[in-house]
Amino acid sequence: MNIRPILLTLCAFSAFAQTTHLGLFTGSGDIGAPARAGSTQFDAATGQYRITGSGANIWAKQDQFQFAWREITGNFTVTATMRFLGKGADHRKAGIMLRQSSDTDAAYVDVIMHGNGMPALQWRARQGEDTNAFDLPLEEPGGYRIKLVRTGPKMHMYLAKEGAEPVRIGNTEVTFTGPILVGLAVCAHDANASETVVFSDVSIESAQAPTAAKAP
Amino acid sequence: MRSLFATCLLAVSTLAQTPSATLGLFTGSIDIGASPLKGSAEFDPATGQYKITGSGTDIWGRADQFHFLWREISGDFAVTATAKFLTEGIAHRKAVIMLRKSTDPDSAYVDLALHGDGTPVVQFRNTNGDTTNTVDLVTEGPGVWKLKLLRQGTTVTFWAAKDDAPLRELGHTMSNVGSPVLLGLGVSSHSQTAVNTVLFSGVSIEKLPTPATKE
Repeated sequence: MNIRPILLTLCAFSAFAQTTHLGLFTGSGDIGAPARAGSTQFDAATGQYRITGSGANIWAKQDQFQFAWREITGNFTVTATMRFLGKGADHRKAGIMLRQSSDTDAAYVDVIMHGNGMPALQWRARQGEDTNAFDLPLEEPGGYRIKLVRTGPKMHMYLAKEGAEPVRIGNTEVTFTGPILVGLAVCAHDANASETVVFSDVSIESAQAPTAAKAP
Repeated sequence: MRSLFATCLLAVSTLAQTPSATLGLFTGSIDIGASPLKGSAEFDPATGQYKITGSGTDIWGRADQFHFLWREISGDFAVTATAKFLTEGIAHRKAVIMLRKSTDPDSAYVDLALHGDGTPVVQFRNTNGDTTNTVDLVTEGPGVWKLKLLRQGTTVTFWAAKDDAPLRELGHTMSNVGSPVLLGLGVSSHSQTAVNTVLFSGVSIEKLPTPATKE
């Protein structure tokens, strides 16, 4: 009779059960249906995620890439160390993404590295709109430590070479509603190619709810 | 008809090329958005400095209020200016180098803004009436700030430096404000009940050759 709560419980349980396969994340898949399928593998022994993605780009009005994700609400910090394996298009992309949904044209914000070492903060403010981008001065290919902090609508980008503590670059503003997807993204910037990125030392920390201010 | 056309051409060319005795490199000065308090722009030919006073809620959201000293320009160019707030005020009062489609309050634009608290910010409104996008960079504190904006095709690149530090590239974005576009300096007090004055010195506008073929 009252079957819905039972189904919800089952769903929640099943999502939990998957975490043994995907670490911090509960699902993975290709956004935007690229011709070449991507994949996400989690190595519980090392805590590393090996994500392979194809896709034309994460850009303009719609995206194609591989996404390992979980749902999240509120304020939080995501940190990851990442390195491209192999060589590909200069503007192949990988990084941390917050996304309103798995729709190909969903609102999103990401902190990404391009394959050639150009860091960027990108966002699509509303579903179906064009991507906005702020590209930082070119670094060099290699391992990077990236961090994205959400505080309400403010999305802060931090960055460092692998081994160093990420430094705050700046923030943009994106307004999401309700629960969103947080995850790791890899895009080949070429529908006929696939790129693999290894993410390590990945953490997602929810911020504590602010404590009530003391009376003066 | 032909003479009217010729007159128009002459007028445009005069606007674009003749330095104004009263406004230096610029040809017009206007309050955008109608804040109750009036703004102004003064040019001192002896020092080459511009003193711009502006009021207005903000350059933000879907419509702006500020004072704008402008000229028309097309193609690729680099603009450099050193900005110093002469008056105290709200932390987020703004001095900007701006490219703007029109003097309408909700016009598309891209700018490099300096907040009064010493935060460089890259802002843009992609289409008329749209919301403002922002990238707030790291706050370094009040001072004398050198700002530079370079437009090459649809790419706009930004530099900033506080006090005597060398110009540092902040990054670049894409903008479709196109040509001709209004290029200028602006000031907003971030309040309809306040005005702020900013001194702009070392202002230069360098036209760049347009690449024969675009990528």
